[in-house]
Amino acid sequence: MISGILRSAFVSALLTLFAACSDSSPVLHESERPLRLSEWNLFEITPGALTPHGSTVVFRPNNPLFTDYAHKLRTLWLPQGAKADLVNDELIYSVGTILSKTFYYPRANNGGLLKTSDANLGKIDLRQNQLIETRLLVRKSEGWDAFPYVWNDEQTEAFLRVAGASKAVVLSDSSSREATAFTYFVPNENQCAACHTTVHPNGDMHPLGAIYSQLNTTGSNATDQMLARGWIDELDFPRTASWQDDDAALEDRALAYLNMQCSHCHNPQGAADTSGLNLDTSASAAISRGVCKPPVAAGGGTGNLRYGIVPGEPEQSILLYRMRSEEPDEMMPELGRSLIHAEGIELISRWIAEMPGSC
Amino acid sequence: MTISILRVLPVAAISAVLLSCGSEEPTMPELSFEEALQEQLIRAQAGDVITIPAGVHEMTRSLSLNVPGVTIAGEGIDASVLSFKNQAQGAEGLLVSADDFIIRDLAIEDTIGDALKINESNNVQVLNVRTEWTGGALSSNGAYGIYPVQSYNVLIDGAVAIGASDAGIYVGQSSQIIVRNSRAEYNVAGIEIENSTFADVYDNVATNNTGGILVFDLPNLPVQGGRNTRVYSNDIIDNNTANFAPEGNIVASVPAGTGLMIMANDSIEVFENNFTDNGTANVLIVSYLINEIPITDPNYDPFPEAIYIHNNQYEGGGETPDSEPLALLQSATGQAIPDIVWDGMLASGKTAEQALCFKEAADTSFASLDASNGFAQPSFDARVHDCTMPLLAEITMSLPSQ
Repeated sequence: MISGILRSAFVSALLTLFAACSDSSPVLHESERPLRLSEWNLFEITPGALTPHGSTVVFRPNNPLFTDYAHKLRTLWLPQGAKADLVNDELIYSVGTILSKTFYYPRANNGGLLKTSDANLGKIDLRQNQLIETRLLVRKSEGWDAFPYVWNDEQTEAFLRVAGASKAVVLSDSSSREATAFTYFVPNENQCAACHTTVHPNGDMHPLGAIYSQLNTTGSNATDQMLARGWIDELDFPRTASWQDDDAALEDRALAYLNMQCSHCHNPQGAADTSGLNLDTSASAAISRGVCKPPVAAGGGTGNLRYGIVPGEPEQSILLYRMRSEEPDEMMPELGRSLIHAEGIELISRWIAEMPGSC
Repeated sequence: MTISILRVLPVAAISAVLLSCGSEEPTMPELSFEEALQEQLIRAQAGDVITIPAGVHEMTRSLSLNVPGVTIAGEGIDASVLSFKNQAQGAEGLLVSADDFIIRDLAIEDTIGDALKINESNNVQVLNVRTEWTGGALSSNGAYGIYPVQSYNVLIDGAVAIGASDAGIYVGQSSQIIVRNSRAEYNVAGIEIENSTFADVYDNVATNNTGGILVFDLPNLPVQGGRNTRVYSNDIIDNNTANFAPEGNIVASVPAGTGLMIMANDSIEVFENNFTDNGTANVLIVSYLINEIPITDPNYDPFPEAIYIHNNQYEGGGETPDSEPLALLQSATGQAIPDIVWDGMLASGKTAEQALCFKEAADTSFASLDASNGFAQPSFDARVHDCTMPLLAEITMSLPSQ
C-alpha cells in the first residue's frame, strides 16, 4: 500500500521532469521566481546551440537600444488563447506573455570577443558565440515583472541575479583589430524597472521593443508570425523612422535615435523629468529638447559647456558630451552601456552640425 | 528494505533525467555583501529595517530602493560607511524612489556622482547621515550630497555634507521641507533650496563652502515658482572656498565668499542668523537676469520679491569680493562690500520695498547695485527698505515614526 503510493508519486514526479525538458511548451511562473532560466523552457540548450522554443516568435525592434555592441536574440511568447490587443496605439499583451532578450557576442580566435554588427540570428551557435545574459519580461496578473539571468561560462545554464552582475570583457573590432577592455554590467531588477517604467515613479513596467511603433522592421516577419499564431488581429503596423536608415531624413533619424535611447527617462512623466529635458516624440519647444537649454543638475556631465544643444556646434553641446563620456556620473544613458556608441555619436553630431540657429 | 530501494531508485532516475536535460547541476554563484544588500533592497517589504553594520563597505555599483515604508539604518554617522571609492557603475550612490523612507546613522562616501538621490518620494527622513568626498573640494567630486527632488515632506536632520561639487544638501522641486541641525562644509553650495516651496532651514552650520546657503528659482523646469522659505538661526561663516563647480551649472556662477544668496525666489524670511567673514558678501539678493542667460520660459518670474531680512548678526565679510562688479565697487568706495547686497533689478510695476525689506541693527550696511544700468549708480541708501513683511508660518509635518 505505502509503496504503491510512493511509486505513483515518483512516477508523476518523473513525468513532470521529462515534460520540463521536452519541447512541450514554455512554462509560465506566476508566483515563484525561478533561479534557473531553464525552468521557463523558453530555449533548447544543447552543447552546440541555444535555440528558441518553436512556439516563440523571434523579433527585433526597428530601433534597438545600444548595449555595448552586444548581439541580441529576442523572443516573444503568448500562452494558448492569449492575445495582444491594440489600444491607443499600444499593444496590450495578455497575462502570461513572456518576452526574452539574450545578449551575446561572437567569439574571437584570441579567446576574447568580437565587435561586429548584429546579424540578428534566430538561434545562437554556441561554438562561435559567448552568451552573457538573458533578460525576461513577464506579464503577470499584477503587471510586468523583470528577471535578469546570467549565463555560466560553460553556457549550460543561466542563473537569476536579482542584484545584477558584472563581467570583464575584451572586445576586438573585427576590422581594425583594436581591442577594448571593459566591464559589462547586467542590470539589477531595479535597474530593469528604471528603464521599463516610463511613467515615474508610479507607472507600471512595460515593454520597450515589442511595441506597436517598433515591430515593422525590414527583414523581419515577426508580425506575420504573430498574426498566424492568432496573437494579434490584422494590424497595420506603422513604419517609423529608423536611425540606421540612410534614406530617411537626418532629423527623423536623430529623433528616432534619441527617442529609443533616452525617452524612457527623458519624457514629461519620466524619472528624468526633473531635468526639464524631453527627448520623446511629443512635440515640444526646442528648449525642452535641449536647444539652448542650460543644464539643471548635471554636475560634471556639463563638460564645462553651457547648453544641451548649441545649433551648428556639436562640440559645444552637452548632449553630445554626455554621449561621448564613459564616466558613470556623466554618461548618457546612465544605464545599459559601458562603451560609447560611435555610430550614434556620428549621427547626433551631424544633426546638431546641420541644425540652424544659435544660442 | 523494499522502501529504501524504492527511495534510492527514483533519486537515481531523477538525477539521470536532470543530466539528460543538460543541466548537470551548475552551481549558483555566491553573493558579495554588496549584491546581498542590493538584493535585500529589492526584496524589501514595507516596514522592513535594513541594517548596515559598522565598518567600511566597498560598493562598486549604485544601490537603489523602490519599495515604500523601508528604513535603512546604520550604527552611526561615522561607524557605518558605504564607500564608493571604486564605483564603476551608476550615477549615484543610493537612488531612492519610495514613499515613507527613512535613512539614518550612516555615511555615503566618495560616490562618482550624487551620493544620496531621492526622486519623487513623499515623507522622507534623512537623519544623522553623512555624505562626503574625502579628497577635499575637487571639481571631479559628485554634484550633490543629499539630494531629494520632486518630493513632499522632507526632513533632513543632523546631516553632514562635505565636498559636493554642486550642493552638499540640495532640495529641488519639492514642497514641505525642513533642513536643521546639519553641517555643510567644503561644498560649492552648502545648503540649497531650489524651485521649492515651504521650507524651513534652521540651526545649521554652513562654513567653508563657496556659498553657504542658496535659495534659487530657475526657469524651464516642471516645478518652479520657488517661495515661502525661512532661513534662520544658522551659522553662515567663512564661506570663501574657490568655486570648483563644473562650468554650465548654475552654481558655477556663485562668487566665492557668498554667505546667503537668494535668486528669483519670492517670500523669503531671513532672521537670527550669524553671518561672519563671507568675503564677497554676507547676503546677496539677485534676479536670474544677472546670469545673462536668455529666458524663453513665459511662466518664469526672474525677480526676487517679498524678501524680509531681520535680526541677523553680521561680522566681517565683503573684503575679498570674487565678482567683477563688486570688486569695482570695492575699489571705488575703498570699503568692504556691504552686508546686504541687492542687484536692484525690479519687475516692471514693482517697488523696491515690495522686493526687499529689512530690520537690522543700525550699523548693518547695504548696497543696491543698479545692475540693469550696467552698475552705473549703486546706492547705499537703505531707508526705502526700512519696512516689514508678514512673518512666514513654521513648517510642520507629520512623518511616520522612526
